[in-house]
Amino acid sequence: MKRMTLAGLSIGLGLLSAGLYAHAQSAPSVTFWVRSADQGFVEPLVKAYNAKGGTQVKLTVIPQDDFVTKFATAVAGGAAPDIVAVDLVFLPAFAKSGEMTDLSALYKSLPYAKSLSPSHMRLATFENKVYGVPFSAESSVLIYNKDLFKKAGLDPNSPPKTWAQLETYAKKIRALGGDTYGYYFSGACAGCNIFTFAPLIWASGGDVLNAQGSAATLNTPQVKAALSLYKRLWDAGTIPAGSKTDSGTNFFSAFATGKIGMAGSGAFSIGTLKKDYPKLNFGVAPLPGQNGNSSSFAGGDVIGIPAGSKNVSAAQDFIKWALSPEVQVQQFAKNGSIPVRSDLASNQYSKLDPRYVTVSNLMTKGRTPYSFQYSELINDANGPWLGMIQDAVFGSGGVDAAVKKAQDRFTQILNSN
Amino acid sequence: MTAPKPISLRPSPAAGIFFYVACTLLALAFLFPLAWSTFTALKPAAEASASPANFWPSRLSLENFAYLVKYGAGIGRYVLNSLGVAALTVVGTIFLSVLAGYGFARFEFPGKSTWFLIVLTTLMIPFQSILTPLYILLRTIHLQNSLVGLGLVYITFQIPFSVYMMKNAFESVPRELEEAALLDGCSAWTLLVRVMMPVVMPAVITVGLFAFFASWNEFLAALIFMSDAEKFTLPVMLLNAQSGVFGSINWGAMQAGLAITMLPCAIIFLLLQRYYVSGLISGSVK
Amino acid sequence: MTPHTADLRLAPAPRRASTKGRWTGLMFILPCLIFVASFFMVPLAMTAWMSLNNWPLLGKPSFIGLRNYADLAADSTFWSSLWFTTKYTLLVTPAIFLVAFSMALLVQSKRKLVGLFRTLFFLPVVIGLGAASLLWIWLLNDQVGVFSAVLMRLGIVKEAVQWLGEPNTALASIIVMVVWKVSGFTMLLFLVGMQSITEDLYEAAKMDGAGWWASLWYITLPLLRRTFALALTISVIGSYLAFDQFFIMTRGGPQNSTITVVYWIYRAAFTYFKLGYASALSMVLLVILVVINLIQQFLLREPATRQVQTSYTGKEGVS
Repeated sequence: MKRMTLAGLSIGLGLLSAGLYAHAQSAPSVTFWVRSADQGFVEPLVKAYNAKGGTQVKLTVIPQDDFVTKFATAVAGGAAPDIVAVDLVFLPAFAKSGEMTDLSALYKSLPYAKSLSPSHMRLATFENKVYGVPFSAESSVLIYNKDLFKKAGLDPNSPPKTWAQLETYAKKIRALGGDTYGYYFSGACAGCNIFTFAPLIWASGGDVLNAQGSAATLNTPQVKAALSLYKRLWDAGTIPAGSKTDSGTNFFSAFATGKIGMAGSGAFSIGTLKKDYPKLNFGVAPLPGQNGNSSSFAGGDVIGIPAGSKNVSAAQDFIKWALSPEVQVQQFAKNGSIPVRSDLASNQYSKLDPRYVTVSNLMTKGRTPYSFQYSELINDANGPWLGMIQDAVFGSGGVDAAVKKAQDRFTQILNSN
Repeated sequence: MTAPKPISLRPSPAAGIFFYVACTLLALAFLFPLAWSTFTALKPAAEASASPANFWPSRLSLENFAYLVKYGAGIGRYVLNSLGVAALTVVGTIFLSVLAGYGFARFEFPGKSTWFLIVLTTLMIPFQSILTPLYILLRTIHLQNSLVGLGLVYITFQIPFSVYMMKNAFESVPRELEEAALLDGCSAWTLLVRVMMPVVMPAVITVGLFAFFASWNEFLAALIFMSDAEKFTLPVMLLNAQSGVFGSINWGAMQAGLAITMLPCAIIFLLLQRYYVSGLISGSVK
Repeated sequence: MTPHTADLRLAPAPRRASTKGRWTGLMFILPCLIFVASFFMVPLAMTAWMSLNNWPLLGKPSFIGLRNYADLAADSTFWSSLWFTTKYTLLVTPAIFLVAFSMALLVQSKRKLVGLFRTLFFLPVVIGLGAASLLWIWLLNDQVGVFSAVLMRLGIVKEAVQWLGEPNTALASIIVMVVWKVSGFTMLLFLVGMQSITEDLYEAAKMDGAGWWASLWYITLPLLRRTFALALTISVIGSYLAFDQFFIMTRGGPQNSTITVVYWIYRAAFTYFKLGYASALSMVLLVILVVINLIQQFLLREPATRQVQTSYTGKEGVS
């Protein structure tokens, strides 16, 4: 019986989508590409826009890991979409190679231009021209398990503010024994670590690259200290063994098991934890620096128009709509995402849960590395950023050797273009 | 009078036991991953992602499949796309390889071995190397973002193996058959279709099967060449459906997707394996 | 009794050596050649041209002659990927052949249920390498995978094993997966080869008192030489071009220890956006494969088939 319903459902859906597709063909349409991680919040968005009549948006969702490959190939082959939402870290490279349409005029026309996420705008700007605007926001935070804190005798409303505190708390929680651990990070995931580990460095006054992205600043005390911190956490057994090989699969789910005391994570986890793990009593805090101070990775997507699009004004309409309160508050904030406009950060939904306000503020003050070789340097699973962390934390050669090796490799890559 | 077989020729009961034990163990080893995957697909989504893996679900559930049905343009669309491309690949491959196999097997012409070698070289270049040039090429002839273009590429990559199979198959056909037909005044074409084809049908089915499997399971070309979501094939959708934020994986959906991808292949194979085996026999014997 | 296959090879050349036959032959292979030319040769030529350029995926290409090849020679990751791919091939090929041959021997007998077993052994072959890779990622996963769960239940290990976490276990796991997936196909090739060895030879051997091992060594193996050569060629080429399983299961990790040549080519093209360099790598790989193939063909070339039978017949005559 269920099978028949399922078959009927799929046939029905097939016919329905064919019908919708046919209908969509009659109105002017623009193509819009997003990566699979965004699918959850983009699909309702596109449906709502299409329901208004007028220009129709054809959405294509692309597997996360292959997004850049597919997009770059399409651009190279002259088959790029009209609108693309891409991880903001890739904008510098795309802008530099002339693959994006100049949106400076659109940007200047926005009354709220100044309250658009500064990190997004910095990365979308190349040679004083704007090639994208923020679309979705993500910032990194420290999430911690309040129940485990209580059990370990720690104040559940007092998350760690320095590394010394982080280490102590991690050890105390680990001492609870069994399969309870103090800390977690995805040891084989490059992106996860620029997201949650780099802020530790930033909050201590250091950085991965210099401001122009032209030289690596890894061979510095702050970076070494941060790596040493992780190494001590690992050696003391406060981190589960699985972390070493986790390429991001368990980035969220590890903490969700309720057996991890603290972990770096993103704002997205707030909504998911509340919805799917309501019994987990968690708090969010800024990622701490060595001696106080805090920082965050300001991430998310920018939305832009690839060069060569023939539907620029229709695309710009959609983009403007995506930045409106209708979307940023009624769609994003309502479903637990952060608006990309600081003037909308404090809205009817964020008021319901102060954790959102924390996160929004973090994003405004957050940082993002600017580099034309972001993929090669930082995001690459076989690249020097992840290599450095793995060598330093899991390897036996020591932090200094790992740092030196990475610094050399960074320099080599930066100079090869 | 036949002498009784010497003792050394009689199969021993110990050998029989060994046979069945070894075969059963091996069969279980080969079958287990597939069976376990499909079994997990039928667990409720939360239990499918349980850690450590739970062995017995509380109930059977189709929710993983339901998730896939609702996904994107609906799984029906992707299945149709995959089927369409596979059909084109199978028909095209059979057509080309039967013709070429026959040509190589039964005719002499200048440069024959060179041409054959060139055909075989297609095996030695990985698809990833010519991915971008192919993309540009397809775009130039307006077949990029077209399932037909995808099918043509698949056919090309099936050619070495298929032509090799058909060439061997035709070579194994006894010449008496052809000579008898020729004496009856057959043209080359009629000879091929009416006389030879039925004889090499097992090889043809084998070629078709392999073409189907290759096309049904291929992922990279389908992802890169198709620009529109509605034209994605099953493997691409599978990758989309099971990946979440920061590399998190929806295990239940993955197993359901794997089941949908694997089962048609398994079923078709089981139905046609009779031909398949004899196809390889007629295809490989020299 | 089926005629021995050697007979067919000694058959006279086809009668149709006339001009009409020549053109007809070409006509038959023409459609296939058109496809190969359009969708393979043309892109291949483009790749060759690209290898002489600095060709960023995004941006304008510029001619640089043989610079890419010079860079390639100095690229340590390329050489270690070549070494790794060779190591992988040297490990996986005997594994596959051992398992496949054993299965072929088992399944060759005419006992009951042999067809069922043969089918089950072959089943993993049809499911696609990408699907198989995903399947095994799941099986090997420390949190949700069944292997770790079973080992922990049995008390053999205390904590979940990180199969894909150490270079050696990662390689071993991938090899196991590939053997699981591919052995059935090689088994079938062996079966087919074995089918063409006439029963009479085995009967005669048994009459002479040859045991199971002797008939294997002196009859089966030599007569399977051609099948063996074919299977080896296919397997070696496939192993050298291995990509999917390393792309999906380990992404070249842990710590860059499982990077194959094609994986490196893929990264050069699509992570570093250096199409020219990737094209140069591809050309070099092609040359390497052709050389390996030539060596294989040379080493595995047929001695005259008759010799085996003659030597055996001679022995029979003596006793």
